[in-house]
Amino acid sequence: MDQLVFDYSGHRAAKARIRQSLSGIWERLLPVVAILLLLSAGGLLYIGAAIGWLVAGIAIVPLIIKLWYTHELKELPIGKDARSIDDLLAGDILGQLPKKPTPKDIANAVGRVPGGQFFGARFGIGAGFLQNIASEDASQTINVWQEAMLIKEQTGLSEISGSVLAVALVRVFPNYEGLLAHLHLDDEDLTKGIHWQNHIHDLVLKHSKPKRTGGIARDWSFGYIPLLTRFGQNISEQIARSGLISVELEAHKEALDQLIGTFGTAGRQNIALVGPAGVGKTTIIHAFAERLLDATMKIPEDLKFRQVFILDASSLLSAAPGRGELENLIMQVLSEAYNAKNIIICLDNAQLFFEEGVGSVDLSNVLLPILEAGRLRMILTMDEQRYLQIGQRNPALVNALNRISIGPANKEETLAVMQDQLIMTEFQQKVTFMYQALQEAYRLSERYVHDLAMPGRAIKLMESAARYNENGLVTANSVQKAIEQTLDIKVGVASGEDEREKLLNLEELIHKRMINQTRAVGVVSDALRRARAGVRNQNRPIGTFLFLGPTGVGKTELAKALADVYFGGEGRMIRLDLNEYVRSEDVTRLIADGADDPTSLTAQAMKQPFSVVLLDEIEKAHPNVLTTLLQLLDEGILRDIKNREISFRDTIVIATSNAGADRIREYIERGYQLEQFEKQFVDELISSNQFRPEFLNRFDEIVTFRPLSKEELVQVIDLILGGINKTLALQKVSVSVAQDAKLFLVDQGYDPRLGARPMRRVVQRAVENTVAKQMLSGSVQPGSVIEITLEQVQQILGSEQQANQIAAETNPPLPPASTPTAS
Amino acid sequence: MFIAGILSWWYGPGWRERVLKMRESLASTMDYFSVGLLLKTLFSPFRQISAGKVNGPLSIQMRAFFDRLISRLIGAMIRITIMIVGLVTIFLFAVIGTVGVILWAFIPLLPLVGVTLWLIGWMPWTS
Repeated sequence: MDQLVFDYSGHRAAKARIRQSLSGIWERLLPVVAILLLLSAGGLLYIGAAIGWLVAGIAIVPLIIKLWYTHELKELPIGKDARSIDDLLAGDILGQLPKKPTPKDIANAVGRVPGGQFFGARFGIGAGFLQNIASEDASQTINVWQEAMLIKEQTGLSEISGSVLAVALVRVFPNYEGLLAHLHLDDEDLTKGIHWQNHIHDLVLKHSKPKRTGGIARDWSFGYIPLLTRFGQNISEQIARSGLISVELEAHKEALDQLIGTFGTAGRQNIALVGPAGVGKTTIIHAFAERLLDATMKIPEDLKFRQVFILDASSLLSAAPGRGELENLIMQVLSEAYNAKNIIICLDNAQLFFEEGVGSVDLSNVLLPILEAGRLRMILTMDEQRYLQIGQRNPALVNALNRISIGPANKEETLAVMQDQLIMTEFQQKVTFMYQALQEAYRLSERYVHDLAMPGRAIKLMESAARYNENGLVTANSVQKAIEQTLDIKVGVASGEDEREKLLNLEELIHKRMINQTRAVGVVSDALRRARAGVRNQNRPIGTFLFLGPTGVGKTELAKALADVYFGGEGRMIRLDLNEYVRSEDVTRLIADGADDPTSLTAQAMKQPFSVVLLDEIEKAHPNVLTTLLQLLDEGILRDIKNREISFRDTIVIATSNAGADRIREYIERGYQLEQFEKQFVDELISSNQFRPEFLNRFDEIVTFRPLSKEELVQVIDLILGGINKTLALQKVSVSVAQDAKLFLVDQGYDPRLGARPMRRVVQRAVENTVAKQMLSGSVQPGSVIEITLEQVQQILGSEQQANQIAAETNPPLPPASTPTAS
Repeated sequence: MFIAGILSWWYGPGWRERVLKMRESLASTMDYFSVGLLLKTLFSPFRQISAGKVNGPLSIQMRAFFDRLISRLIGAMIRITIMIVGLVTIFLFAVIGTVGVILWAFIPLLPLVGVTLWLIGWMPWTS
C-alpha cells in the first residue's frame, strides 16, 4: 500500500481516536470511578447483597481501561509494517484527524499537541500562524505527508510528531522562505527545532527512569570523611540528589573519556583541565561525577561510585589563618581523602592553591609531592594563562600533571548547551526563551562579552536577557535590550519614531553646528543610516573615514557633532591624538590592558563600544601604530595586550590629517573645485610617501575638506553667537551683532594657516567683553537685547595687530578651542 | 474495536510489559541493598577502620593485624545481615511479582466472575 495514503479506518487510527476521547477528564475520572465502585461493592457485600459481586466485577473495567490508556494509548507505538501514513503519525495527532484531512485540519491538530505548541512558543510558528498558511484543499494534504516523510527520514525520527508536521506545513507553503525570513529564521533552524524538541522529550524520559546508584551499602567499604565534608563540596551527592541536565558535547566527551582513561589505568592519578573561563571545565567535572555514580555505565570497576569533592579554598583559609596551620590542615584533608579510598579531589580554579594573593595561598610545596606521587586522584582546573604562569614559576608542578586542553564550544555546541541550560533558567525566572533569542545571544555575546569563552559567554547573556522578557517570552529583542542596557549601545534595527526621524534628518541636525562640508556630513550620515537599518557589513566598523584638509575647517568638529547628535553626547567620542604615538613602543600603549591604562584605545572601546573613534593627525603616527590599526579598519577588531578581541564594529572611525593642506589651498586658490582635484590629491599623498596605499585603501571614504569662504565664516560667527546666547539665557539677555561687525570679526579671526580656529577667541573677546561691561554698568535689563556695533567691536579688538596677536596665541596642535567649524 | 483493542494489548504487549516491570523492580531492589557490592567487599575492613598499613615493631604490627581482622569480621557480619535482609526482600518481591504476572491473565475475567457470583447469589459469610 502507498505510504502516503491516510487510512482512517485502520486499527491504529481507531486506537488513536479512543485515546483522544479518553484523554483529559476521563483519564482522571477512570480511577475515581473504579475506587467508588469497589467501595460500593464492599458495602453491598457487607450488608449481604449479592449484587455487590456484579459491582465489584464492573469496577475492574475502568481500571483495565486506565491501564490500557496509560501503557499503550498515551504513547501509541508506531505501526509495525508502516503501510500507510497513519502507521507513522504520532497518536496525539492521529486521533484528531477527520476522514479526509485537509492541511488546515492538520494545522488544527498540530496546534493542540506538545510538538506544535513547542514550535509556537520557541519559533513563533503557533496554531494561528499554521492555520493562516495551511490550505483547505484536501488534495494538498498529500504534499504535507510527503514533506513530513522526508523530514522524518532526514531527522532519523521513528514517528511523525507534531513538530515534524509543523515544519512540513511551513515547507509546503509556496513562499515559505520569505515567511521564515519574516521570523528571522532559515530552513535549517526548523530542523534544529525538531531535534531540540526531541531532545527535551528524551531528557524527560531519561529522568523518569529509575537510577542505579549503588544502594545503601555503597560506601561501607570506604572511610569516613568528616574533614572533607567540612571543607569540600560533594558534587556527587548533589548530582545523586537532583540529577544533572547535560548535553554530551563532542569536545566534552573526549575530555571525559580522557579523564576515565587516566583514572582507570595505572600512572599518575591527576589531571589538569586547562581552558579559558566559561569553556565548561566545571561542567565536565559534574558530568564525570555523574558517570561514576551510574551503575549502568561501562567504566572501570575501580572507578565506580567514586565521589568527587571540590575543595573550598576560602573555607580552608579561614579555618587555618596561622603560619603552617593551612599546610597542616590541607595534609589532613588529603590524607583523609586518600585513606577513604573513594575520593577524587578537585581543585577548581587551582591557581588559588598555587599563588599568594587575596583569597589564595601558595601550597606548591605541600601539593607537589602528592601530585608527583600520583596516588591520590586529583583534578585541577585553570585557564591557559595561569597554567603557563604556574609552569614558569614551578616547572616541576606542570610536569607532574596530565594536561587536558578544553577549547571553546562552536556555535552548534553552544546552542545545544544553552538549550539544556535554559530548562533551569526558565523554571527559575518563569519565562520561555525563543530560538531566535538563543541565536541572538550567541551572536551578540561573541561580539560584546569579552571575559568568558563559549558557551559561558552566551549563557551569561541569555540569563541576563530573561529580565527583559515581553509577557514571559524572551525574544531576540529581549537579548538586544539586555546588551543595550548593559553596555549602553544600540544593536537592533532602528525602530523608535524619534530615532528614525533623527536618522532621516541627520545632515540637518549636524549642520546645526557645522557649516558646509556637505560631502563629509553626507557620507557619515549614510554610514549610520545603513548601520541602523541593518544593511551594513556586520564584520566591520559602521564606517571608516579619512578626513583630509587644512586646520580649522571642521574635521574634528564633524566627529564631535556626530557623537553629540547621534551617539548621545561628546563624551561618546574616543579621541586619540596620534602625534603622541610616534614611537614603535607606543603600540603597547595603544592596546594596553584597561586595568593598567584606562586611556588606551582598546580599554576605551571596551567601555564604550558604541562611539565615534577619532584618530587625530594620523600622519604623525609611527608606521607600526598604523599597521596595528589596519585590523581595526578592516575587520573592526583589535586584540589588546591580553589577546582579548575588542570589537570596534559599533564605532564610526574617523581619522584626520593635515597632510597636503598647502596643496589643497593651492588648488582652491587656482580656482579648482574639490571634486576636480580630490583624486589627484590623494595620488599625490601616496606618491609623496605621506600615506601607504594599503592604508588608504582600508577607509570606506577619503573626504577632502576645503577652506571656508568668507560667507561661510559669517555663518560660523552666527553659530558662535548662538552658543553665547545660550549661555546668556540664564541672565535673560541676548546679544545681536551687526552685519558689518561680523564681517570685521571674520577679517580679524580668520587666518589662512589656521582656518577658523582663532575665530572663537576673537568673537568671544569682542562680544563677551562688551556684554560684560554693559551688564556691570547696569545698562542691561533682563529681557533686553544687547546690540553690538562695528565701532564697539573695533574698540574692543583695538587694531588688526591685536587680533593677529590673539590668533597667534592659538597653536594648531593644542586641544581644540571648539569652534563650530574649526577643529 | 474497543474490547478487541484492550484484550489484544492485555494478553500481548501489556503482559510482556508486566514481566519486564517485575524484572526491573527486582533489579532496583538488588541495587538498593547493594547485593553485588556487598558480596564483592564481604571481607573488606568496615569503613576503612584500622585498614591502613602500620610500620613498627612486631608487637605493633601484630596488634594492627588483629585490629584489621576485627574490622573485617565486623564488616562481614554487617554485610551478611544486610545481604540476608536484601535477599529475603528480593525473594518476596519475586514471589509477589510472579503472582502478579500470573493473575494478570485472569483480571479481564473478573467482571464475568462477578456476574456469575451475583447470579448464583453466593455470600461466603452467610452460607
